[in-house]
Formats: sequence, C-alpha cells, structure tokens
Amino acid sequence: MKMKWFKSLAFTTLALAVMATAVPVASAASKLSGKIVINGSSALLPLTLQAAKEFKKLNPKVKISASAAGSITGPQSVRKGIADIGAVDWDASTDVPGFKKFDGQVAHKVAVIPFAAVVNKGVGVDNLTTKQLQDIFSGKVKNWKEVGGNDASIVVVNRAFGSGTRVNFQMKALDGSDFMSKGDNYKEVKSSGDMKTAVETTPNAIGYMDLVYVTSKMKALKINDVAPTEANVINGKYKVWGYGYYMTKGQPTGATKAFIEYIQSKTFQNGSLKKLKFIPISAMK
Amino acid sequence: MSAPASAAATELGTSLKTSSGKTFGRRARLAFYNRTFKAICVVCAVFVCIILFSILFLMGRTGILTFEYVSPMEFFFSTEWVPENEQYGAFIFIFGTFALTALTMLIAMPISILIAVFLAEVTPPWLRAVLRPVLDLLVGIPSVVYGFLGMTLLIPLLRDVTGTTMGDGLLAAAIVLTIMVLPTISRISDDAITAVPKKYRDASYALGGTRFQTTFKVVLPAARSGIMYAGILGMARAIGETMAVVMVIGNTPQLANSLLKPTSVLTSNIVMQIANVPFDSTWNYALYLMGFLLLVISLLMIVLIRFMQRKGVQR
Amino acid sequence: MSAGVQQSPRPFASSRKSGNRLKNNLFTGLVWTVGICTIIFIIGLLFLILEKGMPKLSIDFLLGLPDEIMEGGGIGPALFNSFYVLIISLVISIPLGMAAGIYLSEFAPDNKFIGFLRVCVEGLASVPSIIFGLFGIVLFVEAFDIGLTIIGGAVSLAFLNLPVLTRVTEEAIRAVPQEMKHASFALGGTHLQTIRRVLIPVALNGIITGICLVAGRAFGESAVIILTAGVTTSGVMWDFNLLSPGETLAVHLWYVQSEAIVPDAVEIAEKSAAVLVFIVLLINLLFRIPLWLNARKMR
Repeated sequence: MKMKWFKSLAFTTLALAVMATAVPVASAASKLSGKIVINGSSALLPLTLQAAKEFKKLNPKVKISASAAGSITGPQSVRKGIADIGAVDWDASTDVPGFKKFDGQVAHKVAVIPFAAVVNKGVGVDNLTTKQLQDIFSGKVKNWKEVGGNDASIVVVNRAFGSGTRVNFQMKALDGSDFMSKGDNYKEVKSSGDMKTAVETTPNAIGYMDLVYVTSKMKALKINDVAPTEANVINGKYKVWGYGYYMTKGQPTGATKAFIEYIQSKTFQNGSLKKLKFIPISAMK
Repeated sequence: MSAPASAAATELGTSLKTSSGKTFGRRARLAFYNRTFKAICVVCAVFVCIILFSILFLMGRTGILTFEYVSPMEFFFSTEWVPENEQYGAFIFIFGTFALTALTMLIAMPISILIAVFLAEVTPPWLRAVLRPVLDLLVGIPSVVYGFLGMTLLIPLLRDVTGTTMGDGLLAAAIVLTIMVLPTISRISDDAITAVPKKYRDASYALGGTRFQTTFKVVLPAARSGIMYAGILGMARAIGETMAVVMVIGNTPQLANSLLKPTSVLTSNIVMQIANVPFDSTWNYALYLMGFLLLVISLLMIVLIRFMQRKGVQR
Repeated sequence: MSAGVQQSPRPFASSRKSGNRLKNNLFTGLVWTVGICTIIFIIGLLFLILEKGMPKLSIDFLLGLPDEIMEGGGIGPALFNSFYVLIISLVISIPLGMAAGIYLSEFAPDNKFIGFLRVCVEGLASVPSIIFGLFGIVLFVEAFDIGLTIIGGAVSLAFLNLPVLTRVTEEAIRAVPQEMKHASFALGGTHLQTIRRVLIPVALNGIITGICLVAGRAFGESAVIILTAGVTTSGVMWDFNLLSPGETLAVHLWYVQSEAIVPDAVEIAEKSAAVLVFIVLLINLLFRIPLWLNARKMR
C-alpha cells in the first residue's frame, strides 16, 4: 500500500516535471522571450524586483529570476555564466579597494544611491567631519565626548567586508581609510535591515546605510556640515553617494538588453525608481 | 544492543526466502517482493551516501586548496583573521564554535530532559496531546525570526541585566540556540522515554520505587540511546545554525574571553563572508575549509559521545 | 535497552524511605516547574509572534501579489511556493530517507563501515544549510544550467532533510520491541511483510515526529532557497511550473526584514512570521490526525 502510494506520487512528479520543461519550448511565439537570471547586490534588489515586475507585464514571455547573495556574487556569477546580469554597488569593470576588476564585463549605470552615516537617537551629535568619521570607524576615538557628545562609549556597527555599501562608504565618506576589525564595542551585521535594527536598538551606536533605509527611529548625520538629502546629492554638495551597476558579459543582447534599457528608460527612472527613493542617473551632471 | 537479535532476524528472513525460492505462486512472489524491496532500500541508502559524500568531497576539495597558501599551523592556531592582509588564522572561530556548542548543550540538555520527563511521565494525557504539537511548532519558526527577537528583545535585556554596552556575544547566542534546539531534544527524548516498555515501570513501582527512582534509575537509563541521539541531533543543529547566530553574536574576529564580548564562530563567519569574497581566492578556500572543519568537529563530537556511551553501557 | 533494567537498584530499603519521599517530591515539583515554565514561555513566544501579525491578516494579504513601492503588498505567490517547494521536497526526501533508514536498521551488516556511515549521516545534520545551498548551486545552476528554480530549491531542501529523516526512521524502527518482530516472523511473515505490517506501523509515531520536525524546518528555511530558488516569484498565483523562480515565504520574510524599502516592511514581516508559525502548527496537526485516529482504533 504504502510503497504504491509513494510510487504513484513519484510518477506524478516526474510527469509534472516533464510537462513543466515542455511549456517554455512551446511558448516561443511572442516577439520577446527568454530567461534572465540576475544575482548580486541585495541593496539593489528592491529596484530589480520592481523593474522585473513591470517588465514582465510588458513582455509576458520573458522569465526573470533574481536573487541576492552579495555584491561580489553579481559579476562573479556573470563570469561563470550562471547569471545574465550581476547587480553590484561599484563599477566592477575597474579595480576598487579589495576587489580586482572583471575583464570583459560591461557596466551599466542603473541608479544613484546616496549613503548616510547614522546614529542612535540618543546620541547628542548631529555633525561629524571626515576626520572624525575616520577616527571613529578606525577605533581611535572611543567616546562620544571626544567629538562633542555625551560621555558614553561609541558602539561601532559595521557591514561585512565586501558589502557594496561598505565599499562605497569607505571610498566616499572615509576617503579610503581603513575600518577597525575588532574591539569590545564593535560588531558587524549582515544586511541593511540588520544594520537598521542594530542602530535603532543599541544606545550610542553609529553605523551607515543607504539613505533609503533611514527611518525616523534613528538620526542621519551631517557630514562636514552637509545634510544627506537628495537635493544636496544632485547639487554636488554631499559627496557620499555611488552608482548602482548592472554588469553583463560583453554587450547584452535580446531580453537582457531590453531589460537594461527598460530600467534605464525615463519611464522607469522618473517613475518607480524615484518612488523607491533612489535618484535617477540623468539627474547627475 | 539489538545487533545479535537483528542478525538472527535477517537469518530467519533469508531461510524463509531460500526455502521458497523454487516453487511458484505466493511464496515466490513474496520472495521476489522481498528482494526488490531490499534492493530499493539498498539503492536509497547508497543514494543518500552519494549525496553526503559528494557534499563532503565538494567542501574538502575546495577547502584543501587553502593549504597551498596558508600553513596548517597558522590556520589552526593563529588568532589573526585579517584576510585583507593575507592572514588566515581560524583559531578564534574554532574555539568559538566549541565554546558556544558546549554552553548551549550545558543549558539545553538538563532543561530538555526535564521537559521530556514532564511530557512522557508526569503530564495528564490531554495536556500532552496539546503540548507535543506545540513543541514541534517551535522548530518551524524560521531562524530569522529567532534572530530578530534575539536582537530586539534578548540583547537589550542582557544589556540591562549585565550593564555592558553591547550585549552581543556567546551568552546571547547560547540562549537563542537553546530555545531553538529545545524542541528537537525534548521531543525526540520524549519519544524515546515513551518507547520504554510499561512493564519496566510497573516492575519498578512494584518493587516500591518512587517516581523519582523509577525515572532516574529505570526509565532514563533504558531510554539512554534515544536521549543521546536527541542530544546529538540538537548539538548538530546548534553547531550548524547560522541565520540566528549571526544576528546576536557580534561577528568580530576576537577571542571570546568573556561571555558578553562580541565574537564569531565558524558558521557565522562563513555566512557573513562567503557571499562577499571572490570565487577563486584563498579567502574563499579558507571559508570552505572552515565548513569542512565544522563537519569534522561535529563528527568528532558524535564519535566521542558514542564512545562515552558505549563505555557507560559496559560499566 | 535491557541494560537499564539490569542496572536498576535492588528493592528499595525502608530506612531510606523518608529521604526517598522527599527526593521524589522535590523531583516532581521540579519537573512541574520546568514544565509550566516551558508552557508559559512557549505561549509567550507564540503570543509575541502571533498577536502582532494575526489580527491584521486578510485574504488580500494572503493571496495578493507583493509590492515594492506601495503599502499593502501581499504574499500570495511566496505562500504558494512555500507549500509547493515543501511538498516536492517531502515527496523526494520521505521515501528516500525512510528507505535508507530501513536499510540501516534492518538490512545493514553490523560492521565498521556502516557504523562510520551512521556517524556521517548524523554529522551531515550539522552541516550549515548554506553549504547545502552551495551544493545546490553547483548541481542545478552550474551543472544542469537551469538557473534559480523551484525544483532546484526543492531538491536541495530534500538533501538538507535526508540525514535527519534517515536517522529518525532508523532510530524509530530500532525502538520497536524485538518480540513483535519475532512474533511476525514466527507467524511466517516475510521480512518485507514484517517491515510493512509491524515495524513501520509501530514506529510510525517516531517517524511522524521526524517528518513534522523536518517539514517545519523546511518551511522556515531561507538560506538554501535564497541560493537555489532565488528571491523572486514568477509574479502570478498558482504557477505550477517547476522551472519558475521559487521564493518562499521564509525567504520573503528574510527579504522584507533585511532589504525591502516598502514603508510597511515591518508589518509585512510581522504578518509573514505569524502566517509561517500558524501554517507550521497546521502541518503538525494534519500529520497527527491519522495518528490520533489510529490510537483511538487501537483502544
């Protein structure tokens, strides 16, 4: 009895699998079809998901699957040929601190991402200079009173090595100076969401994240007396921002090309992308 | 334990098969089914083995490449983990994994056994019928949720109680892990205790034993194999848990000389970094090696427990 | 198992009676305290998770499509994928795991290699799920080149569950009293008949516990699915295509908690967590109903 049951189930699954593989072959009639696999930066994932959703409405025959393991996974998956698009928070066709360039890959700018240094609400500091930020994140300054705040130990929350946010923050806000890597009041978190939770709930904490994630439960710091706002990024006063990129192996073709064109189009850039609180690439320069 | 008995059973089965091999009809058919079934089982077991060993192979093959660049001495005994500067000392993580597992089991084992005894021996049946599924339910809560609760409730609590500035560290991770392995250990122990034949208990009570004596001197020893197994399974889960640990341990490569100091263990370090390192780098190899090591550590612990268990039986 | 009985003490001497009674009362008290604390703790934990999410649940949320920008996005496709992936992975892992467990408990010779194998199976239960995810990538994305799919996620998940299922089955069948087995053989039952009619029914309780544990774990697993099935769904409900991307509810929860920008991310996370817990409870109940009926019949 039992074995028969298992067997019939196994056959059903097999049949289902066969049917499933047959379906995409049968549906090649539409003008644009194909499969796009996107992997890479998790910070760009909301953007990718929204674009994929809209793109699929226009081109129902295109299958898009996206995942996000980490920035560097993007160009790597593209190089290995297991992804068509690698989302990454820096231009992976050039060298950046810690990562070599990926030869033969083309970078496509898709969005402007501002970053902000954030502190817990209880911290009495509103502004830090580049030098002060460098000292705090390298562990030289350990108490808030040394930078004009209360007498309390600074808790530094950092992202893991290789996070796109970290690479950008290090390059743009700290002028490339090194982070500390250990200490009694130092921890690393895995994602923007964890960073948000950690800074919100830990007294005297400092961290950094995409401006998009800043909530009213924490405080975004001015850097060198410039507030992190969209306007200041566009007029060039606030320097801590970077482009989000899509990497492809050589020039893209077919569905992949159409998808990248869609995400760079005015409709998407001035519509959904703005609503997601990223800044359109056309706004710069 | 049951080895001679099962061997005898196999013999019985075989003798039955051979005697009925030639004649047609029901017996031959049964023998055929028997053989087919056994073959299916063997194939499945082999298949499971293939998967297991290919995972082992995958991890070992990639991990072993580390030693082309890093000496084993440095990898196992150095406390300097600064991959940016080509320093790959994994001692901190190895120590952290041992410490965290030991601490977790120290808290979880006694509580779980008491819960199991409570479920199997003491509770009224209606409560038991409600509690068992509810305990199973705790396993199904995604580790992300445990981690999130740990980060937002447990750590602030620890901060208040102990007066430290952070609260992340081994203690927080051990408490979260205890909650996560508790249902696994207590439910499987519960089943093991329930499986102890009732006549053992009756005999003990008939001899005038109290419930305490019956439980500790008769029921628990009889269920020892199952409880050990539950412990191993729980421990395995504690060693391998990633998503929850990573949110409460602090992820700082420094030796945990205090329960409340942010530190890092093998799993949390793997999961934090594996997505962010280039594929064909020493760093990536070192992370695979750490995964392999994790497996070796848990295998060693299991062998050790089995060894101690056998010794216990002989005494 | 018999070792325990031989070790049990001689008839309890009467001089120790009062001490025994005190110990016994202390012990009973301790067990009740721990038990009640556990109950309170579990109820508290469940309450914490459920009370934030449950009241806000609606059909629109359960069956709706997720939204990246606007509030009010649903979890429909992710929820559907959760069940779909779970069922496929169980269909693969239960027969395989059970058969392997039966082999280990009934047919396997008692030698060093099999002993080593057992330790390996137990050890594999401790491998972090992310490693199974990496294995899934090597197998499905690189070797078979099918991208991030439901079937890839489901099979990787099945692999993750195999060691636990194998060992739970083996342990449960071993716990069946030898007398029952011998009785079956004595009545002329073949080995297969004995396994099917005696061993499995008697061991069913343990096996079902194992399946429940495994199903719950699979339902809440995120690391494997992120790597092998992706963080997207096909964007429509009831997509049975095995090659569609297969974000499950647990992955959606991870995504919403860690990266999503939608303003109601926290609320979606709370509701998703509540739905997850509720469904795991439901799965447990469903698996148990046959057991209860069986127990009633036996009585």
